[in-house]
Order: sequence, then C-alpha cells, then structure tokens
Amino acid sequence: MAYNQTVSFDKIKHKKKMATEDIIFTILNTTFLVLFAVVTLYPVLNTLAYSFNEGNDAVRGGIYLLPRKWSLRSYHEILFERPGIRTGAWITFWRTVLGTLTSLAANALLSFILSRKKFLFKSGLSLFWVITMYASGGMIPVLVLFRYLHLTSSFWVYIIPGMVSAFNVMVMRTYMAGIPDSLEEAAQLEGAGYMRVFVSIITPLCKPVYATIALFVAVYHWNAWFDAMLYNRFDPQYTTLQYELMKLLDSVSATTGTSSGAQMSQSAAAATITPMTVRAAATIATMAPIIALYPFLQRYFVTGLTIGGVKE
Amino acid sequence: MENSIVKSKRTKEIDVNKPKFTAKEFKRQWILVAISAVYVIYGIIFYYLPLAGWIIAFQNFVFAKGIGGSKWVGIDKFKFLFSDKTFLMVIRNTFVMGVLNLFFSTVVAIAFAILLNEVKNRYFKKSIQTISYLPHFLSWIIVVAIVHDALTSTGIINDILTRLHILKQPYAFLGDPKLFWGIVTLSHLWKETGWNAIIYLAAITSIDPCLYESASIDGAGRFQKMRYVTLPGLRPTIMILLLMNMGNVLNAGFELQYLLGNGLVQNVSRTIDIYILDWALDARNMDYSLGTAAGIFKTVVSMTFIVVSNYIAKKKGDERLF
Amino acid sequence: MKTKKIVSLILASMLAVSSFAACSTKPTDTQSSGGNEPVQTGDGKEIVDFTMFAAMAGKEKNDGNEIMELIAEKTGVRVKETWLTGQDAGEAIGSIIASGKLPDLIDGGDGSVTLYQNGLLVAWDDYLEKYPNLKEMYTDEEWDKFRMDDGHIYWANVFGNSYDHNTATGHNGEAFWIQVRVLEWANYPKIQTLDEYFKLLEDYAAANPELPDGTPVIPYTCLCEDWKYYCLENAPMFLDGYPNDGCVIVNIDAGMDNPKVVDYNTTDTAKMYFKKLNEEYAKGAIDPDFATQTYDEYIAKLSTGRVLGLCDQYWDFAYNIMGPFATPLSASDGTTFRLDELGCDYVPLGLTAKAGMKQQWHSYDDELNQSSGCAVTTSCKDPDLAFAFLSALLDQDIHDLRFWGIEGVDYLVDDQGLYYRTEEMRENWKSDSYKAKHSCEYSYCPQWMGMSKDGINRMQPSEQPSEFYEGLAEPLKKCFAAYGAQTYSEFLGSEIVVNAPWYPLWSWSNNISSDTPGGIAWKRMGETKHLWLPTVVMSSDFESDWAAYQAAYAECDPQAFLDEAQAEVNKRLETAKSYGWTAPV
Repeated sequence: MAYNQTVSFDKIKHKKKMATEDIIFTILNTTFLVLFAVVTLYPVLNTLAYSFNEGNDAVRGGIYLLPRKWSLRSYHEILFERPGIRTGAWITFWRTVLGTLTSLAANALLSFILSRKKFLFKSGLSLFWVITMYASGGMIPVLVLFRYLHLTSSFWVYIIPGMVSAFNVMVMRTYMAGIPDSLEEAAQLEGAGYMRVFVSIITPLCKPVYATIALFVAVYHWNAWFDAMLYNRFDPQYTTLQYELMKLLDSVSATTGTSSGAQMSQSAAAATITPMTVRAAATIATMAPIIALYPFLQRYFVTGLTIGGVKE
Repeated sequence: MENSIVKSKRTKEIDVNKPKFTAKEFKRQWILVAISAVYVIYGIIFYYLPLAGWIIAFQNFVFAKGIGGSKWVGIDKFKFLFSDKTFLMVIRNTFVMGVLNLFFSTVVAIAFAILLNEVKNRYFKKSIQTISYLPHFLSWIIVVAIVHDALTSTGIINDILTRLHILKQPYAFLGDPKLFWGIVTLSHLWKETGWNAIIYLAAITSIDPCLYESASIDGAGRFQKMRYVTLPGLRPTIMILLLMNMGNVLNAGFELQYLLGNGLVQNVSRTIDIYILDWALDARNMDYSLGTAAGIFKTVVSMTFIVVSNYIAKKKGDERLF
Repeated sequence: MKTKKIVSLILASMLAVSSFAACSTKPTDTQSSGGNEPVQTGDGKEIVDFTMFAAMAGKEKNDGNEIMELIAEKTGVRVKETWLTGQDAGEAIGSIIASGKLPDLIDGGDGSVTLYQNGLLVAWDDYLEKYPNLKEMYTDEEWDKFRMDDGHIYWANVFGNSYDHNTATGHNGEAFWIQVRVLEWANYPKIQTLDEYFKLLEDYAAANPELPDGTPVIPYTCLCEDWKYYCLENAPMFLDGYPNDGCVIVNIDAGMDNPKVVDYNTTDTAKMYFKKLNEEYAKGAIDPDFATQTYDEYIAKLSTGRVLGLCDQYWDFAYNIMGPFATPLSASDGTTFRLDELGCDYVPLGLTAKAGMKQQWHSYDDELNQSSGCAVTTSCKDPDLAFAFLSALLDQDIHDLRFWGIEGVDYLVDDQGLYYRTEEMRENWKSDSYKAKHSCEYSYCPQWMGMSKDGINRMQPSEQPSEFYEGLAEPLKKCFAAYGAQTYSEFLGSEIVVNAPWYPLWSWSNNISSDTPGGIAWKRMGETKHLWLPTVVMSSDFESDWAAYQAAYAECDPQAFLDEAQAEVNKRLETAKSYGWTAPV
C-alpha cells in the first residue's frame, strides 16, 4: 500500500485502465471461444449419439445429443463383421508410420535447401515445385505411369509418390527462413557442413513446424482411401482401413447411380443404403486414434515453445 | 540500350541477396545441388511425366487406340467449353466460392489463432483447440446432413427465427439461390477453422518472446501487442499460405456443393468439377479429352494467379513462393 | 526426453499391433491373395478364386461366407465381389481400364460399352453353344439385341428375366402410393384421378393430423434429388395411360406399326398435373421441403409413417422403410404400436388424367435391358471355367442355394414340395450382417425370376405367393381383400398388354451419349426441368412461371432429342419385323 502511494497518480490511472480493459477482453474472449467450441463440438456429439443408437430407430431422424435407443450393434458390425477391416487397419497403421517418417524427412530436407538464402537455384527449384501443386496430368495418365513403374498392386504406392508435398515444403521453408542466419554462420565458421547445420541446428529449432507437418501427413495417411481403391482395387491384401470404411459410408455413389426410369432388380435395390448409425460409428472409430495422437503433438504448437536458443 | 541498362540495374537492386554464380560458390554448395538433383528427378517422374497426358485434350481420346491412334481435333474441346453458357456459369460459381472461402477462412483462422493465443490458462487453451479441429475429421456427407437438418422447414434455424417472430413462416433456405454461397462459406468455416488455425498457432510459437517483453516495456497494451507483434510475426506464414491458396480458388470443391445443391439452386451451386463429372466423366460418354481440357484451363488460370500475386509480393518485399 | 517417450510409445504400440495382426490375418491371407491361383481344398478338389466388379453400390460378403463356400465346393469357383465406392461408374471403369488390372468378371453398368470398345471383354457366342443353361436365358431374337456392332455378344443382362412366365407378386415400378389406413378410413373408395387422390389425402390429414406418438402427418411428398426426380417429372406419361418408356410417350393411335414419339413434358396433362401440384402446395398439402430434401431425409420422413402419399418406384423406397415400420414405438399415451400394424404400408394407385381411362403403370412382361450386364474380361485366365461357373449358377440346386439358402436352415419344404420360411428365417434374411456371413446371391451373375424348374416353387422367395402373403401386415391384407386383390399388381389393375417391340425405350435413353445433338438436348432438358419443375410447383403465379418454363424448355431443342427417339423406335420396330413380328389387330 505504502509503495503504491508513492507511484504517480497518472501511472495508477493508466494501469487501472489497462486492467479493466484486460478483464473485459478476457471475459469476451473466453465467452467467444466457449461459444465457438460448443458450435464445433455439436456435429461430433451428434455423430457420437447416432453411432450409439439402434439402426432402425435412427432412420427416423431427430437424434441430437443423446441416443434415443442405445445399441452397440454398429460398432460391432464395423469392427468385427466386416471383411478386410483387420488387414486394412494393419496396412493403414504401417503407411501412417512409414509415410509420416519418410515424408517428414523428405520435406524437411527440401525445405532446408530452399530456405538457404545463398542457394544458387533457389528460385528455379521453388518454381519447379510450386508448379506441381497446380498442374496435374489427371487420374488416367498417373495410373498408366504407376502401372509402368510397377507401383500398382503394391504397398509402396502409398509411400513413394506422395512423399514430397510442395505445400508442406513451402510452409516449412517459411518457418526455417525465419531462423536467424547467425546460427548457421557460427556453425559454419566452426567447420560444420550443410548437413550438420540441418541436423544439429535447424531441426531442433523446427519442432513446432515438424509437429504441424507430421500431423498433416499422418492425418492424410490415416484418412487415405482413394489411392487404395485406384491402385489396389483387386488386391485385398493392400486395402486400407478407410477404404473398407468408405465402402460402408459411401452414399454418393448410390445417388449418382444410373439414370432415370430404370428399374433395378429387387435384390440389387435392397442392398443399397448403409444405415446412418454404421456411418456414424465408422466416423467415430476413424477419429479416435488421430485424436489420441494429437495431445503428443499439441504441446509443440500450443504451449508456446520458444526458440529462445536463437537469441544469443 | 538505355532501357536495358535501367532494367539490369533494377534487377540488381531487387536481387541484392542473390548469390553470384561462381565455381567457388558452386563447390561450396555441391551437397545442396546434388540433393536438389535427386529431388528434381523425383519431381519429373511423379509430377511432370504425367503432364504428357495433356496431349489428349487435343484429341478425341479412346483408350483402345491410345494417344498414338486417337483422332486429333485441335482445340475443338476448348471451343466446346467456352461456347457453352453453362461452363461460363460454373467458372463464375467456382471463382466466387473460391474467393469467398479463401478470404473468410484465412481471416477467421488467423483471428481464432490470435485469440486462442491470448488465453492464459493452459488447459482451457488446449481443450478449446482440440475441440475446434474435431469437425475436420467428419466427412462432408455427415456435415451436410447436419447443415440440411438445421435448415429445413422444421429445423432449428427456422424454429428459432419463427419463435423470435423474425420470420412469419418457415423459410426455404436451401432452395434460395441467393443464400447458397453464404451457406457454403459458413459450412467451410464451421468445419475447417480449427484445423486451419493449427499452422498459425505453430507460427506464433516462432515469434521471439523478447519482442513482447520490449513491447510491454514500451507500454503496449494487449491489442497493440497483437497488432504490432503477433500479426507482423505471422506475416510470412500468412503471405505464403495466401499465395499458395490463390492458386486454389478454382478448386473450390466438389463434394460440398454436390451434396448441398439441388435443382433450385443449380445455377449457383455447380462448380467446374461438377461440370466435368456431368459432361466428361459420364459413363455413357467418357470424354477424357474434355475433362483434360477443363483441367488445363484450371491449371493455366491458377498459374496466372500465382505468378501475378508472386510478382506483387516480390515488389512489396514480402515473402514469396519463388 | 519427450521425444524418447513418444518413440518408445510408438514402438510399443507397433509391437502390440504387429503381434495381434500377425496371428489374426494369417488364415485369411491365403484366401484373399486374389488372382487365379488354385487353392487345394480338403478333398483334393481345386478351387479357383475369381474377382468380380459391379459398377453399382453394393455390400461385400465376408470372407468364408457359408453359402459361398458351398457353391465353391460344387462349382470349383469362388468369386470375390467388389462394388463401386466414391466414384461413379464412368470414373471407376476408366480407372480400371487405365490401371490395366481387370477383374475376371465384370458388370460395367453404364460403362459396359466402353469396356467393349476397348476390347476387354470375351465374346459369349461360342460358350452359349457349349453351355445350354446360359443359352436358355433368352430367345435368339433377344440374344440378337445384345449383339454389338461387331456381331458378337459380350454380356447378358441378368435381371427381370422370368423362367416359364412372369410371376411377379409385387409392383416394382412407379405409382401414386397411399397408406392403407387412409383408404380404410374412407371405407375403401375407388380413387382414379389426381383430384380424388389429393382430396382424400387432405381430408384424412384434417381428420387425423397426428400419429399416436404425436408426429404431425404430411399429406404428400415427392423426391427431386438428382436422377430420382423422376418421382416428380414423369407422372404425365402414366396419367395419359402410357407405359414406362421413361423418356417419351410412344403414341400408337395410327396403329402399332406406325408409332409416333410424343413429348410428355408439353402435353395438356403435364400442365394439369403441375397446376394441381401447385394448388396443393399453396394449400400446404405438399411437404414444404420436397424440392430440397436429400434421399436420406426422404427415407427418414417415410420411416416415421407421417407421409400419407407419394409418387415413386417401389424399389426406391419400400425396402428401406420395412425395418422401421416393423419396429415397436411408444405412443404419447404410453402404449406401444407398430407402423405396419397401424396401416402405414403403401399400396399403389393407378391414377389417370380422367376417370375411367385405362392405364399401364404396371408392366406384366419382362423388360429387357440390353445396355449392360454380366461379362467375362480378357484378363480372366480361364474364360471357359468362368462361363462354366456362370452356367452352373443357373442349375436349380445352386440357384436355390443362392436365393433360398440351405434347406432346413433358411427354408423348409412341406409335403407338396412347397418351400416356406419361418418368421425367424425371414428375419434372418432381412439382416445385413446375417446376409454378409451366410447368404451368397452373386446378385450380378445370371439368375432367374419366375417359376422354378420344379414347377412348384418360384425362383426367388419374394415371388413365392405364400411367402409374399405371409409377409404382409394385417391392415394390408384387409385392404387387398376389400378391393378383391391378392397381389400388388392386381391391386393396381393395369391394362394387360403385350410389350411393344420398342419397349422399354429407357433402355435407349439411359445410354444416350452427349455426342449427338439429341444427346446434348436430353442433358439440357434434364437440367432445365430440375430447376423449373419445383419452381412452378412452388410458384405464386403459376401461369406466368409455366410459360417461362416452357420457353426455357424450348430453348434446349427438345426436337433434336425426339427425332433421335423416333429413329430408335423405328429401328427397333424394323428389327422386330425382321423376326416376323406383325402388328396385332
């Protein structure tokens, strides 16, 4: 108290103003974020509710936050009754692990090269990769190419073609470029080559961006199914988890189906619609592992890990 | 003569940082060059070779005959596209939805990341962030089902609005062409804001904390710190993402519009991808040539956007792609 | 430290999963390795594994499916079926061709012609002579309709093909459907026109606005989603008394050998029909969300039993609402009820533009769709075995296994040799998971409808009269009795006619390509109708919107399409004549 009295009146006023401003901001911000969370949480809870509901009952709709008629049937069906789920889980697991590691390494190395300010072919190589983001030969030429490279009917089609992603490289490059040159120069004075700089100086400082890209790539691999269908359609030993679930989820194909006026056979028509509950259960089952992985990565980009080491 | 001198001067000014190409420098960087070469070979095989497939846009491509045997039709496929009123309409739709989505998703994701960064309580911050990105994992089929459910005549939106006497009777939101783009943009925001914010959150961690400290010492308030420290710190990331996504405005999507659209709003809902599906990937008449022609058009436009915006960024001294 | 922890965690989980998967996937590995490598079975007989792709949505069978194994023992062939996922038929067929890896058997759906054009299919001709079971499926004239421009046959459509004669008990086609409780409430009146139909729906809804659980009723709804907008658009064709040619009316006023194609979109009946819908919409008798609802929402709505009437084809809605209709619900007064017992099942009404007209909503004969079917690909290493297998599938004992199941488990036989099922067996065959592990229809391979070769039973249980009748709920039986009908088709009471030689024309319009002016017009007409038909129904000024619609429609150049349709009718007529067809007097 005594100390406060000695501070000039002006400063107190200023501090008080700051404090109230702060409190109002915190309240507003918290309210906003909570509202935002509620709105984004709803679809997930809704899906969760459907997944635990009985199938015939769910068709009637009108389920919001809680199931109306509890049932574990849908989970039982997708996890234990579908052919290929186990093979799919196995393949998906491996492609996620291998794919993330190789892709992270490949992207990081390329980003490192492109972020070197003195690199002679910086612009050219950047342009070379930027183009790959927008120019695509389309599905058919790629298929034909993979066929000649013997990538179809193999596991490696999941790993090799998508290893380098220009988008991820650009994000990483930007981050790396933000790291002060002084560090690199100091190391080079001590005789460290480029690879030493990459491994022992840049990489430890890039944890947040590595975590981000790892998450992106892992989620991509975990969710991938289109490549499994396109390249390994008739090779069930290389199926992926998502492809197996997609076979259940898919209602798009049922609606694009054939054309007007046609009458389908009774047996064919009877088999089309997948119950909403099974779709919901498949969605939740897919989300769970990725959500479990998230907290391990989250610390790197939420808890404000600082690159204080940069400052000398 | 004079002109060229001026020109060379200017380039020199801009590329102050650019290293001189000398044998010595090349030797110093040999490892970088060698590794780059590997990447270039990889890129040529997996990205540039398939571009040879563009040839079929100038043919009436039939699988059985292959590229060698299919009939050449010159630019007929492009002529068909640009003489079709529907194609011009879908370009407009795709472009508008792409721009709306780019603008709002960027602004909202940045705002969300900054606001989240202001939260002091670690657990609150972590939980909010975890929740916010969850919808990213829902498929559009499920999200559209929920959006639909909310917007029907008995849905929650109509229910609230009629109870508040804002509407006298339920309004057919989904059948109104004027509302379609808004609904699409909001659905995107709903599903992807949390996910898009992840990159920005990671970028915020790279901002030197000393900057905040010195700003505080200078008497900067919270908003001033956001404005003068956080935002400039994010600037390179924002610019690079904006630049890249600029090339994606014509990839405004397929699934969402396809699932959310209906006969009444078809004139604003159909995108280029849906058009290709309708006209080129029709099982009865698989016209890969037409589909490829539309693909080439998209690529050309994207590259133009990228080059122009990259040039502007370069001029302004901002982060750029190449 | 943290990194170390994560790495060890990943390693640990890898180990756990790998040991788990290693022991669990081994047995299936040998089975699913695909290809044509023969696998030795217990008794030394070799079983060949084939793959099959159908460009349709469908459900995969479990590995080790019980009946699949039985059929494999008898035929030496096991087929792994794959269906369309996330692509449409065109994309799927295109990518299969490009990947160079084809299945052994394929139903290319709309992409069949592409497969043929690329020389990827094996001609049936020689094998037809070798395997009489297959040859027997169609007459020579019918087989000729399958011939492609090189003169060979590459596929056979497997559906709607009756052995002996068509024994359909149901009405699989289109109609204005109405809940039996509405008819019962009005004491089973005769309903012939749209006016009577909508009046009854309105009256009933006014008198009974809610279901026992408090759900408000919707008098009438209509699906407009994507290609299923036929629910809205093609009624004028039927209302004028014509059969389901799908794309046009074929007028035979000038005699059967002088057919004339007429556009049903511009007739007076069309205007009358849409004006009626417009009035009903204004009165609130039509679901306000009809124009924007998705198929899922539509089914959800029907499943609650609150929709009194609708226009649709049977297969499109009926199978998906059977389950919910048979599920007990609790009413607001605490009692339980079931929708089928309440009389929410639908019966078809054959409405016409004017009372007393004849109508052809139901088609009694088989409809031959030659545009796609089951085919053997050039990738199949042993085509002879593939055809032998397809032929064996038509042997009566195997056919019974496919559609009836195992005797004693899935059906019983009475003293007269008549097959029947118990309630439990019927429930089993409604369950997806039971079907996935037990039943094996090979539903896109050759099959019969109609009479069984034993002369007593039907080829498929759905057509067995006793099975059909036993499966009906009480109110439905009562309703049939009140109108003196035993089957849906009798209830509908369509005129019995022999199919015209060009019928059904939808087998042509479904496959029309956008290469020709007519094809482009057909596509544009569809787009225009998708926009304008719901608009005129919801319009507050019908006359001017109708005029605007007709103007927009005329801009699509429908005449180009009609000309090509006329040419196709003439062509089919000529073909029939060359086989000795003459116009009935």
